[in-house]
Amino acid sequence: MTRRPVLLLLIGLAVGAAAPGAIPGVHDENQAHVDYMLKCQGCHRPDGSGDDQSNPPMRGIVARFLTVPGGREFLGRVPGVATTNLDNERLANLLNWTLYRFDPQHVPADFKPYTPEELGRLRQNPLRLDRVETRARLVAGFASGPSD
Amino acid sequence: MAGLDKIAEHFTRSIARGTSRRSLLAKLGLGMTGAAVFPVLPVARAATHPEGPSHQAFASANIQDPGDRTSCDYWRYCAIDGFLCTCCGGSVSACPPGTEMSPITWIGTCTNPADNRAYIISYNDCCGTTSCGQCLCNRNEGDRPQVRTQSNNDYNWCLGTKSSVYSCSTAVIVGVALDHPK
Repeated sequence: MTRRPVLLLLIGLAVGAAAPGAIPGVHDENQAHVDYMLKCQGCHRPDGSGDDQSNPPMRGIVARFLTVPGGREFLGRVPGVATTNLDNERLANLLNWTLYRFDPQHVPADFKPYTPEELGRLRQNPLRLDRVETRARLVAGFASGPSD
Repeated sequence: MAGLDKIAEHFTRSIARGTSRRSLLAKLGLGMTGAAVFPVLPVARAATHPEGPSHQAFASANIQDPGDRTSCDYWRYCAIDGFLCTCCGGSVSACPPGTEMSPITWIGTCTNPADNRAYIISYNDCCGTTSCGQCLCNRNEGDRPQVRTQSNNDYNWCLGTKSSVYSCSTAVIVGVALDHPK
């Protein structure tokens, strides 16, 4: 374990050097991918495809929530995000990464990445049983929305 | 009383007529042989090992992946709760014939004793036939109460498969965890 900091430092430098072209709001892609594997992919699948019976798909759809009113808040309050045992900083890193990883084409041009503070506020008020209904209402808004 | 006498006499005579004088020896001999052979039968051997039938150890030749994969002590099984597919006709990363691997799965991390690094392990259940019943392993490291649905392994994770009948569990490596999670 003690030999790792050097390696991490090198990785950190490499990531830091690549920062200008990096994903907005993501300070550590490697961390985000590992967190995705640990906290999300068991249900949402490695490729974010999900299914309509158990766990909703994210691939090709998740960033569309940013295009409808209430959607940005929904992504911070949905149980899988709000109640996951990560601190606000890692959660923001992971959520921003997820948006660009699985649905880059729908991320609005003026999208401002989630900040740890914003997520810390949103997750204080997580959705519970109303999550399915809320999601359905927002998705219904996609069709008439300007996106796509 | 005379009637009782008659019955007893009839019974004794019918035995004397129907059996040979040495049949007792033959029956005793059969009984002794049977008693000696019984423990050799597989059913008797199973009964003397209440922890269940043992399985032939199976280890990979890879020194980076040490341990017997049919043993609950194998490092990848640190958070497992179920029957080991390695004992059920499958392997540590493949389902037995006739079952389907669930795409929805419980994910945890285990430390590999070969390099002391934490690996991300996906415990995909195999579904579709009755419970395997071999090599029950229930270590549960990192398991969380049921209020944390995503991190609880007591649920049946046979979701997204054609059948929700649980058969056994695999332990697939999907990644390497970071050493110093921030």
